[in-house]
Amino acid sequence: MIEIDIKDLTKKYKDVVAVDNLNIQIKKGEIFSLLGTNGAGKTTTIKILSTLLLPSNGEVKINNFDLIKDKMKIKEIINISPQETAIAPNLTVLENLEFMAGIYQIKNKKEKIDTLIKTFNLEEVLNKKAKNLSGGYQRKLSIAISLINNPQILFLDEPTLGLDVISRKELWKVIKELKGKVTIILTTHYMEEANSLSDRVGIMNKGKLIALGTPNELIKKSKTKTFEDAFVKIVTGGLD
Amino acid sequence: MRTLTFARRNFKEIIRDPLSIIFAILLPLFLLFIFRQFKIPNEIYNIENFTPGIIIFSLSFITMFTSTLVAKDRTSSLTARLGVSPMKGVEYILGYSLSVIPLVLIQNILFFILAIILGLNFNINVIYTILVSLPISILFIVLGILIGTITTEKSSSGVSSIVVQLVAFTSGMYFSLDMVGNTFSTICKILPFRSTLNITKGILNASYNNLSSSIIIVLIYTIITIILAVFLFKNKMTSDNK
Repeated sequence: MIEIDIKDLTKKYKDVVAVDNLNIQIKKGEIFSLLGTNGAGKTTTIKILSTLLLPSNGEVKINNFDLIKDKMKIKEIINISPQETAIAPNLTVLENLEFMAGIYQIKNKKEKIDTLIKTFNLEEVLNKKAKNLSGGYQRKLSIAISLINNPQILFLDEPTLGLDVISRKELWKVIKELKGKVTIILTTHYMEEANSLSDRVGIMNKGKLIALGTPNELIKKSKTKTFEDAFVKIVTGGLD
Repeated sequence: MRTLTFARRNFKEIIRDPLSIIFAILLPLFLLFIFRQFKIPNEIYNIENFTPGIIIFSLSFITMFTSTLVAKDRTSSLTARLGVSPMKGVEYILGYSLSVIPLVLIQNILFFILAIILGLNFNINVIYTILVSLPISILFIVLGILIGTITTEKSSSGVSSIVVQLVAFTSGMYFSLDMVGNTFSTICKILPFRSTLNITKGILNASYNNLSSSIIIVLIYTIITIILAVFLFKNKMTSDNK
């Protein structure tokens, strides 16, 4: 079943085309990675899909809701973990979770928060102010918050940016556990991450989608040995 | 409900950053105390006239304070997260406003405690003045939201200090506006700060003559500022995410 249907999506800023006629269909429960060099248009695409930005052209259906007409309905079923950790710095970990549960008016608030605390191993930092947490815990909290409303669709914009290898692997484990239950659209600069987590990958360059497929399909297509080599070859125009 | 949740979060953020609270409360308290020690032979500095002046002056610090909070929030990714949530523009404005009102109440109670120690007679008008200052504070809070919406975290306090100066010079708290010439006096009448002082001074001294025009001026400014703040905040949320 198609959960996100993007047709001819374009975003222009005066003379700059940040997203150029993007066409992608993302299936329910899929982990879809958007890759590309800096300025490729990944984050702009995520911001449009998550209702933060209006597109200049094109049509997007999320769960059959129109991105512009049914914006408020879409907001109820999505969530985002932005590029920078999005937490209230002077609130504790528990207060952050309670705050966002209140914003989404979650009915079984306590139960949901308890589940997230366990899933993300936040027990030992529960009463610590968010600003005093390590980078790893801040990122974990940021992602935990984005699951507070049981989103059908989750946007993760560079979720493991700046994390050490242990924290990164821990987060991968959590993301893998969500596979099949939540549709995840992820952006990352770590090719290993995209290869390990994604069902399919879309590679963007200068706002355009230049390749689409599973990591293995892209490796085969580019006649390379690793996914990283495949990415480099595709982005540098080495693909026939 | 969302508004209250957001207000509760803002209030916690405010009280856990005590430096600005101390500034917003202690400085006006100090001014109230020190000007009483000078024994200036001008009725403006009588305790029943100067206390309402200090109340309005302290509200300009609330403007500064709110603008910093809003500007800080805007520059963090938390606003992007909230932008994805079903929160509406008006809920943000109400959430910010409700979180600052308890602070205004605390400010006013402390000012009156000091004023009574310094010789102000306690009567029911003191309570009425505290109550009236709460709706007046909405103008100053929303002005802060407006400034925080159009400035950055660094520039917000600089821009809001203009409001602090305007209150000091155009409200008539430090000198009679009849002394300053027609042009300046007209500017003071057009701006809302003189009217906010007229209202609080009138209520404290049970002198209700000409209060209606001051109330109308403050009301017009408050409504216009709220509309502008909601509109600009909504637009800025989108443009900040570009």
